Amino acid sequence: MKKEIFFTLNGKLVNAEVDVSRTLLDVLREQFELTGTKEGCGVGECGACTVLINGLSINSCLMPILEVESADVVTVEGLADEQGRLDPVQEAFIQHGAVQCGFCTPGMVMSAKALLMENPHPTEDQIRAGIAGNLCRCTGYIQIVEAIKAVTEPTRD
Amino acid sequence: MVIYLNLTRQRMPLTDSPWLLVTFTGHSLKTTSTKQRVTGNAKKGYRTMKRYDYFKPTSVEEALDLLAGAGDRAVLIAGGTDVLVKRKLGQIDPAALISLKNIPDMSYVKENGMLTIGAMTTHRQLETSSLVQSRYPILHDAVKNIGSVQIRNTATIGGNIVNAAPSADTASPLLALEAVARVRGAQGSRDIPLTEFFVGPGQTIMQPNEILTEFFLTKYTPPCGGAYYKLSRRAAMDLPLLGVAVQLYLEPDKQTIKKARLAYGVAGPTPRRAFAAEALLEGRTVTPEVLDGVAQAVCQGTSCRNSLRASAWYREEMITVFTKRMIKLAMERATA
Amino acid sequence: MTEFANVGRRIPKVDAREKVTGRASYINDLKLPGMLYGKILYSKYPHARIKHIDISKAESLPGVRAVLTGYNIPEIRVGFMKDNTPLKKGKVRNWKDEVAAVAAIDPDIAEAALDLIEVEYEELPGVFDPVEAMQDGAPLIHEFDPKGRPATSNILKLPWNLQCGDMETGKAAAAYTVSDQYRVTWVAHCCMGLSGCIAQFDLNNNLTMYSITQIPFLAQNDFNSALAAMGLKGKNTRIINTVIGGGFGSKLDTHIYEYIAILLSFKTRKPVKIMFTRAEEFQYQPPRQPAIIDVTQGCDKNGKLTFREVAMLLDNGAYTSWGATTPSVMMVPISSLYRVPNISYTAKSVYTNNIYSQAMRGYGNPQATFALECNLDQLAEQAGIDPLDFRMRNVNQPGEITPQNFKITTCGLKECLEKVADGLDWTHSQGRGQGRGVGIASLIHVGGGARVYKSDGHGMIMKLDDFGKISVITGAVEIGQGSETVLAQVTAEVLGLRTEDVNVIKGDTDICPWDVGTHASRQTFVSCNAAINTAAKIKQQILELASRHLGAAPNELDIKNRMIFVTSDPDNPERQMELDKLLRKVHYSRQGRMIMAEYFYDPPNEMLDREFKGNLSCCYAYGATGVEVEVDKETGQVKILQYYAAHDVGRALNPMLLEGQIYGAAVMGTGYALSEQLIVKNGRVMNDNFLDYKMLTAMDYIPVKPIIVEPVDSVGPFGAKGVGEPGCVPSAPAIANAIYDAVGVRIKDLPITNEKILTALKAKADKGEKSLSESG
Repeated sequence: MKKEIFFTLNGKLVNAEVDVSRTLLDVLREQFELTGTKEGCGVGECGACTVLINGLSINSCLMPILEVESADVVTVEGLADEQGRLDPVQEAFIQHGAVQCGFCTPGMVMSAKALLMENPHPTEDQIRAGIAGNLCRCTGYIQIVEAIKAVTEPTRD
Repeated sequence: MVIYLNLTRQRMPLTDSPWLLVTFTGHSLKTTSTKQRVTGNAKKGYRTMKRYDYFKPTSVEEALDLLAGAGDRAVLIAGGTDVLVKRKLGQIDPAALISLKNIPDMSYVKENGMLTIGAMTTHRQLETSSLVQSRYPILHDAVKNIGSVQIRNTATIGGNIVNAAPSADTASPLLALEAVARVRGAQGSRDIPLTEFFVGPGQTIMQPNEILTEFFLTKYTPPCGGAYYKLSRRAAMDLPLLGVAVQLYLEPDKQTIKKARLAYGVAGPTPRRAFAAEALLEGRTVTPEVLDGVAQAVCQGTSCRNSLRASAWYREEMITVFTKRMIKLAMERATA
Repeated sequence: MTEFANVGRRIPKVDAREKVTGRASYINDLKLPGMLYGKILYSKYPHARIKHIDISKAESLPGVRAVLTGYNIPEIRVGFMKDNTPLKKGKVRNWKDEVAAVAAIDPDIAEAALDLIEVEYEELPGVFDPVEAMQDGAPLIHEFDPKGRPATSNILKLPWNLQCGDMETGKAAAAYTVSDQYRVTWVAHCCMGLSGCIAQFDLNNNLTMYSITQIPFLAQNDFNSALAAMGLKGKNTRIINTVIGGGFGSKLDTHIYEYIAILLSFKTRKPVKIMFTRAEEFQYQPPRQPAIIDVTQGCDKNGKLTFREVAMLLDNGAYTSWGATTPSVMMVPISSLYRVPNISYTAKSVYTNNIYSQAMRGYGNPQATFALECNLDQLAEQAGIDPLDFRMRNVNQPGEITPQNFKITTCGLKECLEKVADGLDWTHSQGRGQGRGVGIASLIHVGGGARVYKSDGHGMIMKLDDFGKISVITGAVEIGQGSETVLAQVTAEVLGLRTEDVNVIKGDTDICPWDVGTHASRQTFVSCNAAINTAAKIKQQILELASRHLGAAPNELDIKNRMIFVTSDPDNPERQMELDKLLRKVHYSRQGRMIMAEYFYDPPNEMLDREFKGNLSCCYAYGATGVEVEVDKETGQVKILQYYAAHDVGRALNPMLLEGQIYGAAVMGTGYALSEQLIVKNGRVMNDNFLDYKMLTAMDYIPVKPIIVEPVDSVGPFGAKGVGEPGCVPSAPAIANAIYDAVGVRIKDLPITNEKILTALKAKADKGEKSLSESG
């Protein structure tokens, strides 16, 4: 069954005719061609598909598409500004070696973003709890935690 | 019972998942079968995309009507995570999903004498509730370690309870907090004490045409304190191998236990209270001898099983260890 | 010390920007016009005869474009021993066996078509234990060898046997001896990116594979053989790498699903994509192989090792991948970790009906080192020598030639051990018991490539454009480790450019020169050596051309920060020239020319001879890991309090990326030690998801502290050695040794679960009570 829905995607009002049995992840990747949001497991156990809905991080693979009607959805493609300037979280990931194969990175960045929006100065434990739902095989998480810490510190210049 | 056997003997018990929010109804899940499926594992992968219809009622009445009209292949979803996982794994094949997400006023934590929690309250809302943090640490211990932030932002306490998995993380704290579940059916509401709620793995006493709406928890009466321990293999994104919940109410001397409530997850086919052990604590102070007796009583009342995740003997050992530790922690919190 | 402009700096990965913005395109993200989706039907038994397959219903499902089985495809033999085929005929030998495949216009239809394929089986008795599989009368997994000759045994014809020195002498000289058995189990790579490929034929029947392989040129060879078997002899394969979501050895083989995609694409004349689900990844991607390892070591009164005897039994599973050659790398620590004069090592691989295994980070080294380093602690205890001291007495030295004929050039093992011990405050921490303990383990790994193939070479082409930017065309595969970035740094360093002036072109066999693959921790070593040599040729050309303009001989010139200058007169603006200006001048003059160069670097290492001896690598990486643990005696829970990872890396070309390798490997190694295990029952993986496969999360805090030791090695690029794999090698034994130090129980099979520790603690307490009551 198909239905038309409207929602805000990366700051713009969008509409789409969707198959109601799809998830937000399916629609983002297949209909909007926003492939930055990754599918790593499809069942909410890896976090690669993390996006923000109304400011909260969720696994888009477990979000029925009809539930985003009227919601504000932000994906990794929506973090940089119009001029392509990256979000401080993205910059920090680059500068601190938090990226290796990069497959978990978009989801990890979104979880970090959600954490910092809620708590701009998290402790290391809070950072680790904030990204616990995002599995990474390459980094051992350490440089990711360092990157997130760096965003919370005042810039030194 | 079919599901339990299926889970334990043939495949990893995915329905043990803490975030598996099943049906808000008393339906047991029907497992689909195909000719090729033997163990069920991954035979089809995660992409099976049988189509279904999706309804978004905006009142409990409307949801009940839809449920009544849709037949037995309609499934209610709360957070929605469990149903989608089961469908992707080919474990269920719903013709329609009826979402409770758009019904207003089902998500709240309120204190008016008792603590009232709306069934659609997410684990994350409970985790960040200052009321829960300060007065119900036993529940806070449980919700903060369920799944991940993403899961806790989605999954609800109602779903966790109705799922009735032996490992549901919120079940034993709610049992220890003497929760009563209010369910609505076409004929009106009824209240079910949680001690009577679970009838088997994945099975509750609810009728197929009922919807769980809220929980009432015991009144906060200091000096009191509680604690929950989730025994798991890793620090996050895991299921409990055992859940131990202890809630203690003290006499004014802050030493003698006036009332004790102990409850366990994954120590039997359903989350359950340890009544005999509670009786051994009441009227007593915490001494090593009392703790030994309590732990022994708890073990006698449980029936742990072997699974791929842990063996029965280990679970039983850990019941003893963590019953004592959680009693001590609850005492600390009660007297802090 | 020379100050480098690019080398040795913490330069961010050149591909990081693409990755943090979600723009990097993985195989999952790729779509081609007209593309079909392939799905695979796997066996429903671990061992069975295929009696009949009926595909008629599947074929008639609308949207289905092809249904293939072993009975309607040509005979293609694949795998390291050519004992596998893309789709099975006659018999299935494990759960992974691919029985049929479908191509359809969308994945849902392909999935639905699989349900319509009817396969009739006759179940056969299976064998799931390598010891049982070796016994007489065990069911034969393969009744015939790949050449069609009748087989008589499940033991693979891949005997590994290394004998060094004289075992009799070694045993006679031993004052203390410890024999024990160790077991390691299956673990999964858990690349976050799922496996997949797209196969596409052009009108001339040449094949393009969009692939995530770590070995594009060996894959080209494999696929070309498959094309020949399909009647397309002389046709060629072009491998195009997409961005790869993690490797760790999982992409060192060409996989069955890739051959299936090729067959489906040839049949349908359309691009065909096959993508795995996570469950398929766990069920059907070969993991690290399990082993039963018997170790005996002896030492003299002074704690000098006199002999080492190792017998390894490997569960090969039903087919043979390149992973079957891991016993050769197991030899590296067995022969050459510490100074042991007399060595005997045999390894047997046995077919079973279990899933077959493949290479994984360390290539056998983690398995072997776990057994060796646990046994070494046991021996030290028996000899009454502190474990650190014991290792120091046997530590490898620069310049030594090991019994396997490895020529040790530089060796930082002693320094690594010292620094780890310092970090742990070893003398005060060791032997406390009371639930807290420290443990240490060392490693040796190949650091300068490894000649496991007839060439260990790496080809490179460089070309300069009109604007002073250089393209480095390389066969190196970037799997997240950062080879692209260090290549840019090294090239820039040699040419006096900035890292951002270098554009690394990779991942296309039609463009890039040959490389044996990203494995054996070799990519930085070989590709950067190739870069240094290629860039030197480029530089020579630049300086020769510049000398005409600057009035100085080429050997009097140099380049720094994009500027060519006279070394004796560096600050004279009259005698300087911007590189890009020179390039344009040269290009647009009469008889103009472009500057480009190529080089094929093949490291000076040797293939092992018939006795398995030879200088396998041209330098060796060493390291030591030290951990402090706290063990809860009531629950068996282990907490890692400290984790020092010291690595002899030759030189850190990019410390940030290097630390990334060490961190990631340490956490992966800790998972191997404590939590990870594919639970396999009757050949079936029971935990095919991230919930039940316990990969560590960010909340499982492992406080890894990298220690970089830099004994610059003359053969390495700027002195660097490989470091991709080593980090995960010593984790498990260091942790096992620390647990023993903390609570006095030794767990000899991985993973070291809470349950195993508690069981051992109880057994120990029972024994203690018994002996008390006996003595009382």
